Parts: sequence; C-alpha cells; structure tokens
Amino acid sequence: MIENRPWLTFASHATLLTGIALVALPVWMALVASTHPASAFGVGHIPLWFGDAGAETWGTVLFEKAGNGVDTPVWFMMLNSLIMALGITFGKIAISLLSAYAIVFFRFPFRNLCFWIIFMTLMLPVEVRIVPTYEVVANLDLLNSYTGLTLPLIASATATFLFRQCFLSIPGELVEAARIDGAGPWRFFFDILLPLSRTNIAALFVILFIYGWNQYLWPLLITTDDAYYTLVMSIKRMLSVTDGDIAWNQIMATTLLAMLPPVAVVIGMQKLFVKGLVDSEK
Amino acid sequence: MTDVILEKVGKTYPNGYHAIPSVDLSIEEGEFIVLVGPSGCGKSTLLRMVAGLESISTGELRIRGERMNEKEPAERDIAMVFQNYALYPHMSVYDNMAYGLKNRGMAKKMIEEKVSDVAAMLGLTELLQRKPRQLSGGQRQRVAMGRAMVRDPKVFLFDEPLSNLDAKLRVQMRVEIRQLQRKLGTTTLYVTHDQVEAMTLADRLVVLNKGKAEQIGTPMDLYNKPATPFVAAFIGSPSMNLVDANLTEQGIHLSETLTLPLSHQHRGDIVWGIRPEHLEVSDERNADFALRIQAVESLGAETLIHGKIETEFGNGEPMVVRLSGPHLPEVNSLMWLTAPMSHWHLFDAKTQQRL
Repeated sequence: MIENRPWLTFASHATLLTGIALVALPVWMALVASTHPASAFGVGHIPLWFGDAGAETWGTVLFEKAGNGVDTPVWFMMLNSLIMALGITFGKIAISLLSAYAIVFFRFPFRNLCFWIIFMTLMLPVEVRIVPTYEVVANLDLLNSYTGLTLPLIASATATFLFRQCFLSIPGELVEAARIDGAGPWRFFFDILLPLSRTNIAALFVILFIYGWNQYLWPLLITTDDAYYTLVMSIKRMLSVTDGDIAWNQIMATTLLAMLPPVAVVIGMQKLFVKGLVDSEK
Repeated sequence: MTDVILEKVGKTYPNGYHAIPSVDLSIEEGEFIVLVGPSGCGKSTLLRMVAGLESISTGELRIRGERMNEKEPAERDIAMVFQNYALYPHMSVYDNMAYGLKNRGMAKKMIEEKVSDVAAMLGLTELLQRKPRQLSGGQRQRVAMGRAMVRDPKVFLFDEPLSNLDAKLRVQMRVEIRQLQRKLGTTTLYVTHDQVEAMTLADRLVVLNKGKAEQIGTPMDLYNKPATPFVAAFIGSPSMNLVDANLTEQGIHLSETLTLPLSHQHRGDIVWGIRPEHLEVSDERNADFALRIQAVESLGAETLIHGKIETEFGNGEPMVVRLSGPHLPEVNSLMWLTAPMSHWHLFDAKTQQRL
C-alpha cells in the first residue's frame, strides 16, 4: 500500500517523536543532573541544561568511589556486574544447548517427562525459591563468590525451550547425512548444530545478558563483601543514606553508567538479534 | 562377485506394524539396482535399512561377505544421496564434500585432491566456495552426489534423488547418474516411484508391493514377463489392460458373450492382460472384439484411445489402445481390435501368479 498524504506522514512522525521524547526525557534529566553539583537539587527546581560539574562527578564516580556510602569505584562494580552477567549468560546458553540436545536427539526413557520437568521450572524463578536457594549456597560456602552469584541463576527453561524448537526444525535428513558422514554425537553437536543455531544463540545472548546484568535481589542477598558488589544493587544502596543529603549527581552518573553495557550489547548485536528471532535459514 | 546380500531381511516397527515381511536380494558388484513401487510400499525403508538408518528386525544384511546388521551407518562404507540433498547449509560446497573424509581422519592434502577430482568430474570446480543456498536445484543435486562420490564407498544409495527437480533437469540428471555409475563401477541401490526412471536406470529392478518383492529382474524381463498383475500394471505407461476372466476348455471368457479361443490346461478365474501398444486395429471380420471409444488423447507421435469393450449388455471392461502416429476416431464410435496371442499375459486370479 503506497499512500502519499503529507499530513498523515506528518502526524505519524509527530507521534513517534513525541514517544521518543517521552521515553528519552528521564535519561536526559539524569544526564543533566549528573553535571550539576549535588546541592543543585536542594533548591527546588530541576535544571534542564548541563551544569559545569560534569567532568568532576563522572571522574570521581567512575575511578575513585561511587559515593553515598559506597566506597568502591564504579568501574570495579561494573567489572563485577560484567563477570556475573557473562557468567550467567554463557552458563545458561551452554546448559540449555546441552539439555535441548539431549531432549531432541537422544532416545532415553522418560525423555518427555524430563522435558516437562525442565519446563515446569519456569514457574520457579529465583524470587520464589530464594530462601532454599540461599540455604544451599550458604551451605556450600559460596556466599561472596562469583560462583555463588552466577550458578543458582544458570538453569533456564526458557532457553532450553527455545533451543528445543530450533533443533526440532533441523531436518531429519541432515542428521542422517551427518551420521553417514561419520559424525559422532559430539562432532555433530559442534560441526552442525552449533553453527546452525548461531543466530538463536546471539538472540538469546542479548536477552540473557540484560537479564544477568539487571540482577538485583540475588546479589543483594548473597554478597556482603565490597569486592563482589554489583553495579545495579549498589545504586539502591547509594539511595539509602540515612544521614545527610543524597548526592543525586553521583547517583545519576552511576545509573547512566549502569545502562551503558546493555545498550551497547543491544546496539552491537541488533542485526543478529532480529535475525535469530525472525528467520531460520534451514 | 556378489557385493550386497539381503537375506530374509524384514522390518517390524515397535508398534507392531509389519513394514517389510521378508526380502531376499543379492546384488552383483557394479550392478545398478532400482527399488520401485508405489508410495508406502516400503522401498525407502528397505534402503534405509541397508544404510543403517533403520534397524533390521529379522534376517541378515551382508556387504562383501561381512555382516552389517549391527554396524553404524558410517562403518558400512556406504554413501547416500537424499531426496532433499541434506547439504549442510552453513558449509561451503568444498566443506560439504570434505566433511565425511575429515571425520575419517584423512590427511588434508588427500582430501583436497579427492574433492577437486570429483568436483572436476561433476563440473563443480567453480562453485566450491559457494554455500548451498547460492546454488540451483541441479547444482545442489550434483553436490549431494559429489559428497557421496568423494568417499569412494562400496555402495551408493539413492533415495528418490531426482524428485525435487523439474522435468527437464530430471531427464538430464538421470542420464548423468547412469553414466557416472558406469564410469565408477560402484554398486548402486536406487529408490524411486517413477517407473520411467526405474526402467532407464536399472540393470535389475525390484518391484515392491506392501513390503514384498513382487518381482526381481531386468527391465525387459519385467516388461515382457511380469510375474504378477501388480507388476504388469506398474511397469509400462499407460499401464497394461487387465481384465478379470474365466478360463475353460473353450478359451478365455472375457464376458458372457465374448470368448478368446485358447487351449490351456489351467481352469478357473484368471486375469487376462494385454499392453495398450500390442492391440491392433483390424476390420470387423477378423477382430477379436470391438471397443466403444470414450476419449482420445492425441500426443502427436502416438494416440491413446480410451474405451470400453463392447458387449451385448452394453458396459464392458475399460481398455486403452496405443497407436503410433495421429488418429482421429470419433468418440462413441466402434473400433475393431485384434489382440495377438503372443502378447497375452495370463495370471491366476487366486495366487496372482503368472500362468
């Protein structure tokens, strides 16, 4: 349908621009706020244009200490967040690839039951099983460790299900051709299956990375050592200063920094992400 | 030397379905065997059992004297070409062909040599770096064959490899497959439902019906001496005219009033058959029977005339006549025909065997 109605074009563009403005406004305000001194918020009006304290605030937050009672610099917490997010992402992808592989390509007793049990764990996210999970992790002496941060979050029914669907769409003849070509289970997995699910892995990577990066409750619960604090949970800690003024400029700078990696991942992997969700080249 | 032996090979699925009761077949070295039959007759299942993709429930499969029942497909030294080619979509043509060799731990140099040899033979040299999706149907078909050929296997298995190609390409590839097989001298098992493909390619044909080998023989054997009405109807196009009849001392009673004289010691219900191309037009006096013409198909080089045998009670058995050259008889008119006795085929109606 090709239409040429200028006012319609105008109206749709205007709607979109308004939408963008609405979404972007808080980010803009955070950016502006981070460039004013902390005292600028006490006077009662919100500044809408950049101040002159930007470089100083960002430098302090990023390299010295985040402020508001959090003494570690943001780059260090970013590193922790990154380790956790990547650990969760790769762990989830690896484990669900393997479980989906087993469920789709191998005949063993109670295969379907296994699948449904995995599927049922969808109903048990960390928030629901947090107390027993904490107990287990504490008993294993994993509090305040990267293993403790990532391991309990790794099992993923969603990813298993996604890979299962992806594997089911691989034609049976391809599997048989590989068998005749002398590819054993591992060869088949690495030479055929992995390359064919490349785009799905990429799409999942984006979703899971954001999921891992944004983890809040779990790190808050099991880390008590500064060395393992992640960025997202620290923002909350920065807000709960009991005495004195909250340094909003530092919080805003930290928040913006916390947003950067997920945004970078989404932008960097946009093409693969869309491809993985939309088409399959089989 | 006998290359592949199927001895009472049968297949029963876990749900109790008896796909193949028992097939005996021995294939000579370098022979081109075509398994042919209607869909669902078990021909693909039989091929997949030879390949090792389906287990063998009963009987024994031997390749060069060695029992293969329990061997993995890769250990049987066979190569298979699939209907949808089953090329690895993420690999280049070169990698597709080299994959099987790589998995067998062949040296890189050797692989390169073999692949380029086969590629040259199939005219794929220019395409080696392409991905399968950048190829046309015929080229993909060639790559699939190349993948089978580089392995230099004992047996080639083809599972309806031409059914995804258009008609023109199919004829071309058919000729090519035959020439390549002659040149390589590799024993070949080929599955198809297309009887023209079967007739033109095969050294020997195996006609399968409901998992049973109805007849095994050369294409001309099957054409000239079909063992059962099923084979008679399946081989040849248009298929043989088959009429339920009764054999007595007077001859063959095609209907109550129509009798073809014949002295034969057999008595009882039979199936009488004659191929459309063996019926001859004659005048009323010498004719064996008359045909009431219902439809005429002019193909230029030949004409197919569909009609029914004219009897006193009107409707008789349907019959097709094939005449060479153009003919334009009128629909609903009568056509007098003779059926030369040397071209008759008689089958016992009860045992379905040739008399």
